[in-house]
Amino acid sequence: MLKGRLQTKVYLFIALCCLISMGMGGTIAKAAEDAGSYNYSFWGDTVAAPAAYKATSLWNGESMGIGPLKEPSDLHVTADKQIYLLDTGNNRVVILNQQFELVRMITSYVHEGKEEMFQNPQGLFVTDEKQLFVADTGNQRVVHLDQDDKLVKVIESPESELLQDPFKFEPVRVVVDKAQRIYVMAAGVFDGFMEFNANGEFTSFIGANRVFFSPVEYFWKMLSTQAQRSQMVMFTPTEFSNLDINDEGFLYATNSQMQNNVRKLNARGGDILREEGYFPPEGDIRFMKADGPTRLVDIDVADSEIYAILDANRGRIFTYNGDGHFMYVFGGLGNQLGEFHTPVALERVGDDYLILDKALGEITVFQSTEYGRTLNEAVRAYYKGDEEQANTLFHQTINMNANLEFAYAGIGKALIRQGDYGEAMKYFKQSMDQKGYSKAFLLYRKQVLREHFTAIMTGMLGLVIVALLIKKYRKKKGGRQVASIEQ
Amino acid sequence: MNSELYKYPFYLIMHPFNGYWELKYDRNQKASIVISFVILFLLAVTNIMQSQYSGFVVNLVNPNGMNSFMEILYVVVPVLFWCVANWSLTTLMDGEGKFVDIFTSTCFALIPFVIIQLPWILLSNFISLQETAFYHFSSSIAMIWCVFLLFVGNMTVHQYTPSKTIGTIILTIAAMGFMAFLSLLFFSLIQQMLAFISVIYQELVLRS
Repeated sequence: MLKGRLQTKVYLFIALCCLISMGMGGTIAKAAEDAGSYNYSFWGDTVAAPAAYKATSLWNGESMGIGPLKEPSDLHVTADKQIYLLDTGNNRVVILNQQFELVRMITSYVHEGKEEMFQNPQGLFVTDEKQLFVADTGNQRVVHLDQDDKLVKVIESPESELLQDPFKFEPVRVVVDKAQRIYVMAAGVFDGFMEFNANGEFTSFIGANRVFFSPVEYFWKMLSTQAQRSQMVMFTPTEFSNLDINDEGFLYATNSQMQNNVRKLNARGGDILREEGYFPPEGDIRFMKADGPTRLVDIDVADSEIYAILDANRGRIFTYNGDGHFMYVFGGLGNQLGEFHTPVALERVGDDYLILDKALGEITVFQSTEYGRTLNEAVRAYYKGDEEQANTLFHQTINMNANLEFAYAGIGKALIRQGDYGEAMKYFKQSMDQKGYSKAFLLYRKQVLREHFTAIMTGMLGLVIVALLIKKYRKKKGGRQVASIEQ
Repeated sequence: MNSELYKYPFYLIMHPFNGYWELKYDRNQKASIVISFVILFLLAVTNIMQSQYSGFVVNLVNPNGMNSFMEILYVVVPVLFWCVANWSLTTLMDGEGKFVDIFTSTCFALIPFVIIQLPWILLSNFISLQETAFYHFSSSIAMIWCVFLLFVGNMTVHQYTPSKTIGTIILTIAAMGFMAFLSLLFFSLIQQMLAFISVIYQELVLRS
């Protein structure tokens, strides 16, 4: 009796120890989490993720030695990591090196023999040959300077029957592709981007936004008279909010409407963005009603089709891979390092992110953590088709963040390549990838059937023989039974 | 007798006109009720198994959102609503069926769901994404079959003409929606009342 009681006490003690140690394990795991970083699971739940990027430094006009910045509005980084900063309020272009030291400044250019200044310029672009394009909004033109800051040409308000008659040309953002075609995002233009040829002649519009309207609205519009209709809101496409161009010459555009906020345009203006991720690659899918959805103001395309979008509403930067899988998020609104007031532009210097804050006139530099680096490299390896490398790197990332569901699909694909179909199925299931799972399963089924072909065929033959025998036996017996009932 | 018990439902779904006639006039009612409950039970089990054990290519169910009790309710509540709504309507529209008849005929009409879906739970683990077409096809077959049986059952139980049966079925569905609305209203009112009482109780306790 006493012994029994002692035993129970011992068991209880052990159970208690187990419980306490379990609790401790939980707290340790929790301490390692980063509150600011998250990811979305397949089910749309927000799950914690380690920080992929951390703010490391902050630069303003004084610390760069160029006097205070006044409402800077655009950034561009060249391939050799020179930073072109458009200081709108001071009407100048500031060129900095990677250490944020001043290289030179452009405040004016010679146009038709006269020295002219920029006036409220909003956007700039630098080609690979370091030719500078500035959307000189106040002067209603796009200015093209060569690498020595000499004026090449000026694109003035174009004349075309495609344009409405009192057309005011207010270029806001400009991008140039390898064939020197110039794409201009102009204020008040709903028909898409304005495309100019290398000589600066207007050719056409490209990639107008689709119009979204509710069926109810449409219904009322159908019922109403002409006079009433003229009072109603027109179904016009929205303007784009920003654009960028990748190495292959595809335009990436953002806008802020109900849906389809990130687009990748081909030469015809069609949307070819891959959306294989769990949710459309458009920022937050969960938000408070009061805050409203994500309002995208800038997009930056890096190598391997990785692109990042900047949400001005909450100051967050979302990064996606080429398939549209959500990789990581960082940033926010606030007063600490790594938080912004009015973020307007986003650029990448190598793997680092630069975020330009318009109101504060500051540039925040974000550098990748080990997790971010591993994930970037994994996505790159996967994009290049280096399955081996991708496999090991994805394994490393999920060791750091088990919630990163799309990484499991990456491992699954590598496993298919290696011929380990059964294991691949498990990984695809982890990432809720039905297509990948099905592919692995078909191969696995074929493999199993081939391996056990003799056994399966023997079994089937045996079954057929047994069935035949049973049938014969029952016929023999059953005949008598039927006869006995009929009697 | 015993083998009759499990053979009869299969006979009914293959020969609904004769089967339902027998169900209404010739069969032992107690046995029919027992069979009906067994069918309901099997359907609930099928429902639960489906979300738990179906193959990954046809089954995307959030394991955190699954609740066996709710799965049972999803089976029982619609059947109950259907029977009550149908009974309420047909008593006003000179239907000849009693509530028991309606209940048993409805349950028997659900057999195709069980006999088609249950094997597919196992089978769906061995199909690929391209072959899911068969899975979805067979579940639509089950659906159509069930609707047809419901139609015949209703017609036989109440001794209606086909057009009147269709009308009753449409009205029944409308009545089900109405009942759902009423129960939601009822529960929300009860909830508010309980909240009110509990607030008063808290107030009293905190002030004293």
